Amino acid sequence: MAASTVASLSVPVTTTTFAAAAAAGGADVLIVVPRRAGAGRVWFPAAARRGGGSGRLVAVRSSGPATPPEISDKVSESIKQAEETCADDQKGDAECAAAWDEVEELSATASHARDSLKETNANDPLEKYCKDNPDSEECRIYDN
Amino acid sequence: MAICSAHTTTSLRSPCTTVSNAGLRQKQVIFVTSNRRSGGGRRHGGARSFQVSCSVDKPVVIGLAADSGCGKSTFMRRLTSVFGGAAEPPKGGNPDSNTLISDTTTVICLDDYHSLDRNGRKEKGVTALDPRANNFDLMYEQVKAIKEGQAVEKPIYNHVTGLLDPPELIAPPKIFVIEGLHPMFDERVRDLLDFSIYLDISDEVKFAWKIQRDMAERGHSLESIKASIEARKPDFDAFIDPQKQYADAVIEVLPTQLIPDDNEGKVLRVKLIMKEGVKNFNPVYLFDEGSTISWVPCGRKLTCSYPGIKFSYGPDTYFGNEVSVLEMDGQFDRLDELIYVESHLSNLSTKFYGEVTQQMLKHADFPGSNNGTGLFQTIIGLKIRDLYEQIVAERAGVPAEAAKV
Repeated sequence: MAASTVASLSVPVTTTTFAAAAAAGGADVLIVVPRRAGAGRVWFPAAARRGGGSGRLVAVRSSGPATPPEISDKVSESIKQAEETCADDQKGDAECAAAWDEVEELSATASHARDSLKETNANDPLEKYCKDNPDSEECRIYDN
Repeated sequence: MAICSAHTTTSLRSPCTTVSNAGLRQKQVIFVTSNRRSGGGRRHGGARSFQVSCSVDKPVVIGLAADSGCGKSTFMRRLTSVFGGAAEPPKGGNPDSNTLISDTTTVICLDDYHSLDRNGRKEKGVTALDPRANNFDLMYEQVKAIKEGQAVEKPIYNHVTGLLDPPELIAPPKIFVIEGLHPMFDERVRDLLDFSIYLDISDEVKFAWKIQRDMAERGHSLESIKASIEARKPDFDAFIDPQKQYADAVIEVLPTQLIPDDNEGKVLRVKLIMKEGVKNFNPVYLFDEGSTISWVPCGRKLTCSYPGIKFSYGPDTYFGNEVSVLEMDGQFDRLDELIYVESHLSNLSTKFYGEVTQQMLKHADFPGSNNGTGLFQTIIGLKIRDLYEQIVAERAGVPAEAAKV
């Protein structure tokens, strides 16, 4: 048992494993390169930065599957509706909260949809091959 | 009572397989008289071709509570991985089903018990956090039925359309996990839980996580993310947050204290709050059970990169309950750090040395694999496996095997 443990521990481990995981998964992104809009980076409005502290900006994560359009449209539509609902004096706090709750629900759904696309992609034979052979001709990714 | 007491196995990877034959329901009692010690490969002996289910007829029920977008799905993937085998949506069912099924475990999402769909909530001005949007009677009836070993027709809340879809059949698994906003809200449901967990994400971290999740989404801005969190907060505080007092384990996620005025949300301080005196659950400890300890593993033996790692451990009270609290601030950058930490923790319920590290590495691509969220989720997974094995052993009438590490 011990031998197999050691073996399996030693296989997938490199320093980069953790570094990559941290970049891909940690809550470490303040600046995100938009997936749809192409090249430009989104910079936070200075006023919106919290606490006025160090505010160090990090640019990470440019790739990854985009949200399916049917969900993406719903997210942006729900945000518009929530803003309208909350600005409307005729509507109360409850309606405003419910509208923003719908935004949260759809945003979570969008995130889950991206995750499952990522998983589907990970099972793709070409993706699997490219994970091990990132430099081969068919695996190269070019910036435009 | 286990269906086939002849095996009395306490292992999750028992030789018994789940019934796969369509005509065979779990409720049927099949007496197996073969004995493992009698040797031979004919475990499923007899002329019939069906496989015998050896699962206990009463699943162990686990509750996991957290706000939307606070890491429940990552936790579930870690949990099912500890039990062995990947969890997948039901085959051939509704593609928008929220259920995950593995060999041992079925995870259902409590959103499926929404009594008001998206339009209904909008009309009435009620959030999904509000108990009025949820059918606790049905939730209770169905969780109870599953716990008694009966299959149920559970509704499906479709998160894409916001509508309630036709129900899906849920068969009782070995371990049944209910995850969502309200697993401990209703007293009747709460009483059915063999173990409960609450993921408590501080406002700062929640904000950072949601920025990471939503900023790239068209229509979202920093303002919209902030507005959504703020608008939901009153209902969250009223209906979700109070559930943590009932949890057997709470994982609290806070900003680091290692970096002064850190507001990046990159480095996390994570607390594992474990209730004392919970049946079949022995809290993890650092060095000396019940003492108060502060530990910086980085030094001569272990070199850590900035900002380092700091652990604390000690007894405390939480909502009037006696608890043990284990805290990790900082993150792992290298494998030897993780192994070193694992070797200094006790009562981990691992089956072999290095199992925590192995699980963490297996899912290095999951969020939090290099910090306390991943570490404590993995530990809770091992604790639930241990709890399950003890309950099964108890039902089978043999003393539970003590944890080896």
